[in-house]
Amino acid sequence: MTASTGARNLLRHLHKPVYFSLVILTTLGAMSLLSAAIQDKGTTPLELLLLILYVILMLWINASFWTAAIGFVRLLRRPDDLGPPPAEHTPEAETGTPFKTALVMPVYNEDPERVFAGLRAIWSSLVETGRHEGFEIFILSDTRDPNIWVKEEMHWRRWVEELGQPVRLFYRNRVENTARKSGNLADFCRGWGGRYRYMIVLDADSIMTGATLVEMVRRMEADRRLALIQVPPVPVNRHSLFARMIQFAGSLYGRMFAAGLAFWQQDTGNFWGHNAIIRVRPFADHCGLPKLPGREPFGGDILSHDFVEAALLARAGWKVRLADDLGGSYEEIPPTLIDYAKRDRRWCQGNLQHARLVLAQGFQTLSRIHFAMGVMSYLASPLWLLFLVATGIEAYFKSLERPVYFFGDNVLPVWPQTYTVEMTTVLVATLAMLFLPKVMALFLLAVKPRLGRLFGGVPRATLSVLIESLFSVLLAPVLMLFQSKFVAAILLRTAVGWPAQRRGDHQTGFAEALGAHGSHTLIALVAGALAYVYVPSFFWWFTPVLAGLALSIPVSMITSRTSLGILARRAGLFLTPEESAEPPVLRRLDQNLASPSSLPCCEIDEQELWSRAAADPYAYALHASLLPDETPSRRRRHYLEGLIFQLQDDGTGSLSPAEKRALLSHRDGLYELHTLLWAGAEPPATTGSRAGSEGAT
Amino acid sequence: MGPGVGSDVVGTSPTAVTSASQGCGLEAGHWRRAAGRVAAYLAALGVQEPREVELLWGKVRLRVEARAAVVPLENPVEAAIEETHGLLDLWIASELGLEGDANTLCAARAVVLGGGVPGWSARWAGLSEHSLAPEIRALCVNAVPEPAPLTMEPNPIDLFMHRLGARLAAMIRCILGRPGDPDAAARGHP
Repeated sequence: MTASTGARNLLRHLHKPVYFSLVILTTLGAMSLLSAAIQDKGTTPLELLLLILYVILMLWINASFWTAAIGFVRLLRRPDDLGPPPAEHTPEAETGTPFKTALVMPVYNEDPERVFAGLRAIWSSLVETGRHEGFEIFILSDTRDPNIWVKEEMHWRRWVEELGQPVRLFYRNRVENTARKSGNLADFCRGWGGRYRYMIVLDADSIMTGATLVEMVRRMEADRRLALIQVPPVPVNRHSLFARMIQFAGSLYGRMFAAGLAFWQQDTGNFWGHNAIIRVRPFADHCGLPKLPGREPFGGDILSHDFVEAALLARAGWKVRLADDLGGSYEEIPPTLIDYAKRDRRWCQGNLQHARLVLAQGFQTLSRIHFAMGVMSYLASPLWLLFLVATGIEAYFKSLERPVYFFGDNVLPVWPQTYTVEMTTVLVATLAMLFLPKVMALFLLAVKPRLGRLFGGVPRATLSVLIESLFSVLLAPVLMLFQSKFVAAILLRTAVGWPAQRRGDHQTGFAEALGAHGSHTLIALVAGALAYVYVPSFFWWFTPVLAGLALSIPVSMITSRTSLGILARRAGLFLTPEESAEPPVLRRLDQNLASPSSLPCCEIDEQELWSRAAADPYAYALHASLLPDETPSRRRRHYLEGLIFQLQDDGTGSLSPAEKRALLSHRDGLYELHTLLWAGAEPPATTGSRAGSEGAT
Repeated sequence: MGPGVGSDVVGTSPTAVTSASQGCGLEAGHWRRAAGRVAAYLAALGVQEPREVELLWGKVRLRVEARAAVVPLENPVEAAIEETHGLLDLWIASELGLEGDANTLCAARAVVLGGGVPGWSARWAGLSEHSLAPEIRALCVNAVPEPAPLTMEPNPIDLFMHRLGARLAAMIRCILGRPGDPDAAARGHP
């Protein structure tokens, strides 16, 4: 070991102590300022509550601030290249033994057009690297919707025919979607995990460049104790004003946060569920997830499986890293505030479930911190709400106090002691912690001109940051109330479900906005009136929160507008490097989406695709070929026959999606359905035979 | 239920079919109803040449008549569609030399109807001597690779203070000299 390597290793050991010392010291400093201000005439229980809440919230804010600050320093010293470094070695060169990497994409009722357009873009990018032969794509479908299921199969078949031999594109639809996504991945490992050394997990909206995929494999090969590399995904491809602001913030500040996280996480990083490479065998050995004891929402299947899988790998002694220096990793985000909140609702339950794991036996300290931070990312909202309410009550009580200038034997008036300086310092310090990362990000753009240009230039980026900050202030109280509601629902043991995500651009109408934000507006009016009447001095401090809530309906509608997002883009606002210089892989995705493949029998009413697919001989034959060869039990056969009778008597509208799926799930039932449709009073209208038209040529 | 591959009807020779139909007979009206639908179904399968349609149509009729000789037909149209389907499966199985391999049969059916095998309908109708087995096999694609299973069992996670009461009770029992099964107590069982 050289002296420089030894020094580097020594420094690496200091990363965690440095970070956590900074977080704790600044929190203690803020606490001392506030406690000095509220200890006048002793501390009341309410003041004690305020102090405790403030410390918890400041700890959370400081953790974010120092992560960003450290990331800022690291990025200052790094060249402003956003892409992945060129892969220098082939994977085979590292080990001498050939191996395969699976690109696995678990999907659940996603739009097949988008899924396959994305995969095609990734594959094209991979082919351009010339290293694609070591990769295979595996679509792990948990789709329950029978129409989408059929469409996925048609897309798969079309593409597999185009790719030719050897087959590198696989598809399977799980019979039962036990344990959701984690169960889907586990099912893959149990069935085909031995075929692959690595798997790269993609979400339905993930996009990764071929160069990044190859580099991820190279890094895994270079370190045999490395089990997982997470590449931070950059949000792209949305056009609404809301989404473009989030994309801008994610791209500009996200890089700093990722660099900071990588600094203190080191080899005990986290898994974010997708855009990550995983060594398959240790994953299979250590990441089988148990059901948590008790009932939902805290018991049962582990919903946010990714954090737990990373913690289990770390517990078993494997390294988990965040590759903050790798670009070429993208994802899409919810297009509107309401969709964003819906996604939060799904994630919230999973993250709160981690509260039970924070102190579970055997996990590494950093894994516990990841769990705690995940919990805190949702618990912070109700704590802020409680803090605001407690502050209002405290202000009300203070307003009732009448100053006494003469008491005892004092001849001269005794002026009440003021703590304006301390309170102002507390406020300024808190705001600085919240807003300084934005300033640091702008500073990075100023000192790195190439990067600055990709964000539209420093002046436009500064204006974008200002507008984004204004909207953040308006949106924060709305998200606070949303998340507080979700947390309350979960604590009251109301399961919040796990609905499929609505991903495409769409706009919020008045009715939808009123339904989602009506209560927010009402709360703003009532709280504002109470504050104005009873604590007028507090009212003005409270106005930023009140304004956000009172304006939530128009803000939600306005920010959902794609026209405004596009207008802002034309004005050079909220520009991201991915918009300024669109990477080829994203351009290819756009092209694929702009020219969707026409599939046989899929150009008709998509709601009835399942029955058309059962009628169309080719679609029927294809679907049957992808079903498992199993004979249904007698009970099952009777059930399927009952469904067919129902279909005959009452029409397709009488069947639920689950019943339609059941009919399509067994070859026997499908055969019955196929012949039944062809034996009906009128022959089914098919879209013409592929076999005839192409076979004749 | 299930496709009629390998059924009794499939194995019946043309001579037997003729004699059976003469013995029991398929009512002319029934067949007229079924015939049009068989033609439409053949067209949907991709059989377009009139000569091929005619030959296959005749084969289907023989099969339906044979079936009617064995058991009265509840729905002649449905029976005719089933027999057309069965005839196709029989041809594919014979072309590829399959015996009871339902997965390959289904995959091959998808290949044939997918339009990747020129001249298949002529071969099915018996108008071509050229075997299509190599083409069909080459185009058969497995949706999943060969199984390569790994064991993935749930890993235990011991939650903090989980069943603390039961564990404490077990400890107290131990101290009192009535140990029992501490693990059972911890699990909450007697």
